Amino acid sequence: MEFTPVLRSEWLKIRTLRSLCGTLLAVFAATTAFSALAGLSGSSDPDFDPLFTSLSGVMPGQIAAIAFGAMAVSTEYHGNGIRLSLAAVPRRGRWFAAKVTVIAVPALAVGLVTAFASLLAARAGLGSAANGLTVAEQARGVVGCGVYLMLMALFAAGLTALLRSGVATLSLLIPFILVVSFVIGDAAGGITDFLPDRAGQVVLHETYDGTPGPWTGLAVTALWTAAALLAGAWRLRRRDA
Amino acid sequence: MTSIDVRDLTKEYGTRRAVDHLTFSVRPGRVTGFLGPNGAGKSTTMRLVLGLDRPTSGAATVGGRAYASLNEPLRHVGALLDAHAAHGSRTGRDHLRVLAASNRIPVRRVDEVLEETGIASVARRRVRTYSLGMRQRLGIAAALLGDPGVVMLDEPSNGLDPEGIIWIRELLRRLAAEGRTVLVSSHLMNETASFADHLVVLGRGRLLADTPMREFIDARVQPRVRIRTTDPTALKRVLARHGHDAVEHADGYWSVHHARVDDIGLLTSAAGVPILELAADEGTLEQAYLDLTASEAEFTAPPQEV
Repeated sequence: MEFTPVLRSEWLKIRTLRSLCGTLLAVFAATTAFSALAGLSGSSDPDFDPLFTSLSGVMPGQIAAIAFGAMAVSTEYHGNGIRLSLAAVPRRGRWFAAKVTVIAVPALAVGLVTAFASLLAARAGLGSAANGLTVAEQARGVVGCGVYLMLMALFAAGLTALLRSGVATLSLLIPFILVVSFVIGDAAGGITDFLPDRAGQVVLHETYDGTPGPWTGLAVTALWTAAALLAGAWRLRRRDA
Repeated sequence: MTSIDVRDLTKEYGTRRAVDHLTFSVRPGRVTGFLGPNGAGKSTTMRLVLGLDRPTSGAATVGGRAYASLNEPLRHVGALLDAHAAHGSRTGRDHLRVLAASNRIPVRRVDEVLEETGIASVARRRVRTYSLGMRQRLGIAAALLGDPGVVMLDEPSNGLDPEGIIWIRELLRRLAAEGRTVLVSSHLMNETASFADHLVVLGRGRLLADTPMREFIDARVQPRVRIRTTDPTALKRVLARHGHDAVEHADGYWSVHHARVDDIGLLTSAAGVPILELAADEGTLEQAYLDLTASEAEFTAPPQEV
């Protein structure tokens, strides 16, 4: 089977579900709105980091990205629809690759646009407090933010394929990001810096100390994502549909 | 044309053996009814043919090839497994477009099958608003999408209204007449009798019968002749003389076992017995099926949870 028709079919699946398009819109709306608010609330904090403040909407926004990745896969398990999909495309590896592609591309595109819009919106509020940001730092932040949102969507997609359930994925990831990572991550350095979300967020900061750095941090998140996707693909290929 | 070949197929889920050394073929040009009680392994066999489940041992092929090795499989095999497989938030038309795209089937076919299955008027409505009968028709539309040589339908008449049941019967007959291979599972005997030419019967995952439907019935149900007369005494006399035994029924007719209308008709008219009604009382698929399952010792045991 050729890859292109499979890709077209999977892309059509995303486009024809309003809820999936809605979560992508939510990524943009939540991230931009919270970044704009952060920009308005000022820069009095001694740890103030103008780049992270401008992109801080990602913290709530990533929930929508995770929901997008999880739902894009979980809709297949709805009413055993996966059987119909795999009867149409029995090469499961190829099918999953197409699925991953149609999650990655729109998530990255929306992520980049979102990051850019967030930066603009927050800087409007921050005014001169953000003047120290160089063009390179801002470009790094925007690109890194887009890639980070894509990786989180894919991480959720891989987990959903592994668990065969969007509910299970969301009830695992959302508390993890909101509670575990947030609380433990602030308390201690070291190993928590290598959690999938913490590592990837280094790229959103103007200043950072020690390991991992912005790109190595994203690479750590990418490794987590790759592991989740491989586990999902393994489950899909091995198990009865 | 292509046939479905199942060879020594076995599938175990944990310790439960859903399909047990099953061997049969489904040939083109006729409708094969796939019978058996719930849990007999009909749906599992279909999933194994489609490569959705991995067999524990044995193999199932379509036209001599494993389903998973088919290029653009919807053009070879169309299947309806579950009417609820379509996502409720998509429109019926989008559901079919998605399937068509993956196998490079032109969108024109989408509109054709929507028309053919009688759901063109609701094609742009979300699937969640569909009745069970409409979902069933959408599932059949999906099966026909690639104009496949092999059609496999799991309980297609579920949820269909009376017109729908007549429609599916005619559709199945037509598909077979066009030379396609048609396998239709059901647990409704009268329904299956109305469209099947051939039967494959399963019980507890094993093959109980693989015969033409007429033979299946004739081998298990003795033919009878139903007869009404104004002169029972004369009738009994002439029948007794030729070694037949007539039994009287409460509502005024007689039935003659192990007999054919051709013989009884000639005998009675030669003897001048006045006849009001003379008919062959042919065995039904249901009688034959019950006879078969009764002879299977396992079925007389209390049903076990599967």
